[in-house]
Amino acid sequence: MSVTTSRVADALTDGRTALWALVGLLLFLLEAGAFLNFVVGLTIDGILALPGVDAAGFLTTVESAVREIPTLLSRETIPNEGYYDGSGYEGTFLGLSPAIAWALRATLVYLYAFAAFGWGVWGYRIYRRNYRAADWTPRDDVFDRFRGHKWGIFGLVIVFMFVTMAVFAPALGPTTVDQNMRNSYGYETKYWDSDSGSVETILVGDANLDSLSQGNDQNIGPWTYDDYGRFHPFGTMQDGSDLFTFLVVGSRISLVIGVLSVALSASIAATLALTSAYYKGRVDLSMVLISDAVMAMPQLLLLIMLTTVLRETWINEVYSGGFLLALIFAFTGWTYMWRSIRGPALQISEREWIDAARSFGQTPITIMRKHMLPYVTGYLLIYGSMTLGGAIISIAGLSYLGLGVAPPTPEWGRAVNLGQDYVRTGSWHISLIPGILITLVVTGFNALGDGIRDAIDPQSDSAGGETAGAGGGA
Amino acid sequence: MSRARYLAKRLLMAIPVVWLGTSMTWYIIFMGPIDPATRLLSEGQVRNPAAYEAAQTQLGLNQPPLQHYVDWLSSLIVFDLGRTWLLYQGSSVNALIMDFLPRTLWLGFWSVLIAIFVGVPLGFYAGMRSNTVSDYVASMGGIVWRAMPNFWLGIMLLAVLGSSQAIFGVSWETLGPNLTSGISGNPDLSYLAGNPLAFFTNIDATLEAIKKVAPAAIVLGSASMGNEMRIGRTAVLEVKNQDYVELAKVKGVSDRALVYKHILRNALVPLVPIITSEAFLLIGGSVLVESVFGINGIGYLFFQAAIQGDLPLVGTLMYVFILMIVGINLIQDVLYTLIDPRVGLEGE
Repeated sequence: MSVTTSRVADALTDGRTALWALVGLLLFLLEAGAFLNFVVGLTIDGILALPGVDAAGFLTTVESAVREIPTLLSRETIPNEGYYDGSGYEGTFLGLSPAIAWALRATLVYLYAFAAFGWGVWGYRIYRRNYRAADWTPRDDVFDRFRGHKWGIFGLVIVFMFVTMAVFAPALGPTTVDQNMRNSYGYETKYWDSDSGSVETILVGDANLDSLSQGNDQNIGPWTYDDYGRFHPFGTMQDGSDLFTFLVVGSRISLVIGVLSVALSASIAATLALTSAYYKGRVDLSMVLISDAVMAMPQLLLLIMLTTVLRETWINEVYSGGFLLALIFAFTGWTYMWRSIRGPALQISEREWIDAARSFGQTPITIMRKHMLPYVTGYLLIYGSMTLGGAIISIAGLSYLGLGVAPPTPEWGRAVNLGQDYVRTGSWHISLIPGILITLVVTGFNALGDGIRDAIDPQSDSAGGETAGAGGGA
Repeated sequence: MSRARYLAKRLLMAIPVVWLGTSMTWYIIFMGPIDPATRLLSEGQVRNPAAYEAAQTQLGLNQPPLQHYVDWLSSLIVFDLGRTWLLYQGSSVNALIMDFLPRTLWLGFWSVLIAIFVGVPLGFYAGMRSNTVSDYVASMGGIVWRAMPNFWLGIMLLAVLGSSQAIFGVSWETLGPNLTSGISGNPDLSYLAGNPLAFFTNIDATLEAIKKVAPAAIVLGSASMGNEMRIGRTAVLEVKNQDYVELAKVKGVSDRALVYKHILRNALVPLVPIITSEAFLLIGGSVLVESVFGINGIGYLFFQAAIQGDLPLVGTLMYVFILMIVGINLIQDVLYTLIDPRVGLEGE
């Protein structure tokens, strides 16, 4: 304990490290409100789930107190929803026009995210130079190789921007999902009526009905205002709600389902691959048979079948059906990943150190975990990244068909479906933009996978995961 | 291990795979949380015990599960696929599949062919001119093309073709064979019925059917096209640096012969498994592509059966899909042993 304390003291007296810690603190303070809000919200949900504890009154006070903490990147600090009152904008940030105010907030969000990322990299480099006992580890080479891999960096940037979009979804949208889609008749908006020359009030739901994008006669295209002075970066949807808000919030569910399913299928695949590589023989053969049998059912069709069969179970209520979708993905998708890491796992199981560990009397589980797993995690990362892209395509494909994520929850594939009838009209943006976003994100995940592969194993040119990134043909 | 034994082993392995896959399907559908009998009946009928009983009896669900499993499996083995419940009510499933399958096969065939004839040459081209601007453009294009979701690509392609008059100044409908019945929809394959040779003799009808299905085939093959391009490029790069190519060059073999005889031929080997192993992409993707392009194929039939609740039909179709995939995998093994004599000799 004393050693750690003295090391911390050392670190703080060292100028660069102290600066680094200070910048970190500053970055945290800017968003402390949002962070505390998140933690408190999670705790409240947790406590309310416990039976017999009645602390609702106290908790609400805490919650509202936390809400009051100012946050730099929130809708309240930089509001974009204002109205024109004849001479200037009322209610927007510094009286800027809503478009500029929104663009400013979005830019700040991304600046903040990239600053946080840079801060992390900076910290790692300080650690590597000043504090780590070893001068060099093999992992350093991996990082250095990745840094020189332009295509991989491109993928990383795209993926990072996508993750930022999902994390900051509520702050990025020009309006909120609750106000604009779920409960649009529960909110009012003010606008400048040029006929009467005064500021009028209207229900958001009624305003939406006048902002539909349904072809040439009625269309609110990208980067325009509607009749009520509301700004729409990507235009409106066919029901008049804001497309950008829909997509930003939709990115969350795609990311959560994708990450959850890939993590699950990676752990299934790793466990089975290590087991079959360790025991070989019949165990291996039976696993080949099982995975072949699962693969013989085309993944997309299996997904359709399982979502139909499990639609009425309680598990489908969790997270608008997203949780169920992640589970189904994991149990249908592990085979492809298992296929890819079985080979490397088999090779490692032939090494001398495995024999040595066995003769030491180590248990099979320890051998698999300590002496085999570290050598296949790299492959898991590669295929995980590519499978994530495929999962995003499949989820979008399922919601395009009307399966999977339940309707009020925004999902990219549904936006494509909703805009399908208007592609050849002036309202082409409803279908086109989500598709471009999907393509971009999937390309990003594939590029990241390529970059990781070249960084981990520069000799390998096996075009692995060729089919992983295709999402079962969706 | 000789090649024959290798193939025999693969064939033997296919049997448990089909059995396992079919058993899983049976379990999901008949032992899952949904009672197939209630899904088949309308609201009113569910409350009518007689109707419910009848449905159960007809599905065989009043038997013990094991008995039902054996019955179901044995009727599948002899291709006694029964009758439908909701979709095309009461028609024989065999006849239905025979009606819908040709369109899917037609679509799948052309999507494989178009993908090969575009993807492989493009990949070879990029590989021969590696690290030039045209290589980067081709590679980048392939990667992005692959990342596009099929259903979206289909919608966009239809929109572009539908407005081709305005965009390109040429109307897609009248370009080449005339498409009188719209740019998407079912290809007319009736002329082939009972006379497969009509494919060559009645060339106009063939061309029209191809043109009708071409946009859908391009979309369905898009993922494979990107993969084939990428593998083709890597394969050429690899072969290009082999010693025997160097030797041939030193011997004074003409550039033309060098490229066609020594490089491209050998680069084809790794492409075979890619082409066939994408069968599941084609079959899975057919659901979405057939829905977008309005083709009444077997994927579309599967999707309709699933959303309308005809679960027994879903199970039967899944069996057909499993057979198709396992069959394609076997063909791949045969092709592979023919092309690459080393297969099976390394001792698996």
